[in-house]
Amino acid sequence: MNLKYRILSIAACAVLLSAGLAVGQTAPPAQGAPASDTPAPPADAQPAPPAPAPDAPPPELKTLDQEVQGLKKDVVDLNKDLFVLQEELLFPANTQVALYISMDVGTFFALDSVTVKIDNKEVKNYLYTAREADALLKGGVQQIYLGNLKVGKHELVAFFTGKGPVERDYKRGATINFDKGVGAKYLELKITDRVPKHQPEFMIKDWE
Amino acid sequence: MRRAALACGLIAGLAIAAASSAAALSTVGKPAPDFVLRGLDGRNIRLSEFRGQVVLVNFWSRSDGDSRQQMPALDRINITYQRAGLVVIGVSVDEDLRRSKEFATAMAVSYPILFDTGTDIGKDYFIQKMPMTILVDRSGVVRYSAVGFRRGDERVYLDHIRELLRE
Repeated sequence: MNLKYRILSIAACAVLLSAGLAVGQTAPPAQGAPASDTPAPPADAQPAPPAPAPDAPPPELKTLDQEVQGLKKDVVDLNKDLFVLQEELLFPANTQVALYISMDVGTFFALDSVTVKIDNKEVKNYLYTAREADALLKGGVQQIYLGNLKVGKHELVAFFTGKGPVERDYKRGATINFDKGVGAKYLELKITDRVPKHQPEFMIKDWE
Repeated sequence: MRRAALACGLIAGLAIAAASSAAALSTVGKPAPDFVLRGLDGRNIRLSEFRGQVVLVNFWSRSDGDSRQQMPALDRINITYQRAGLVVIGVSVDEDLRRSKEFATAMAVSYPILFDTGTDIGKDYFIQKMPMTILVDRSGVVRYSAVGFRRGDERVYLDHIRELLRE
């Protein structure tokens, strides 16, 4: 709450400052303006003490802003550490299986949902909103599943549902048999366009 | 005399325990549990995508009379306040998806109707009675929750909605 008030006060001060500057600023004289418009300083005038730069914020505002930025950075750092710790504890590398999904082009397929089964057990069913599907089309890669598996052979089946060519309902599956070793396993579901056949293509890639 | 006092104390204790457990089973003041559901038009809608807007979520059932009475009132609220940044979402919790879709089509409300098909939304929102109406603020926190519907309740919703829209 305190932070919110601080941010608000900074924003208000910044607005007041910029408004004050806008009012105080005068347009620079035109090049062809007569010289009499700007009175020449007297020859014996003392040099004026250096005035603070007009667009520099007061020092107390600057320190407050730095403090806020520092706090924000601390929160981000803490969040990152917490995430790493959580992942290390819940999904240790020797059992970890991570599944990602990416989409390329997407002319022949509009993604609606993905169902993932590992060893015949449904582990994930994900519905995509238009915004999420759009993010994938723009090159985004989503971690769709993170879990634990024993070392050994496993089978992963993914079902993709959506709209295929000519706006038809489309459901396809892809299967991969993989060996889970002692290290973490990374798999990627890839949806690409097979242009010669005017059909989408679904693949599962094993990142060794 | 002592027995009566003991009984009174016991009743009071039970009442306090019931009230505190009811408060603990409410989502008010907590971040709204996120969900993604399929809509009547086939599009999927995720609650968290409306962050920054005030959202009214209405859980309803076709078989419930109060739900049927509430929907036109919510439709009027949606038509009036959607331009001010209000989003109204109806969530059907009926098991019979086909009949629920027919009912939603017949009601022809202006806001999206979603269908809960076996997710944990009921548990997440502690739904015990229909209809249930919740208001989520711009930061995604549940600020108001109401169970049931009587004529005139829409005025209470409007008071809360106006307050949240002003924030």
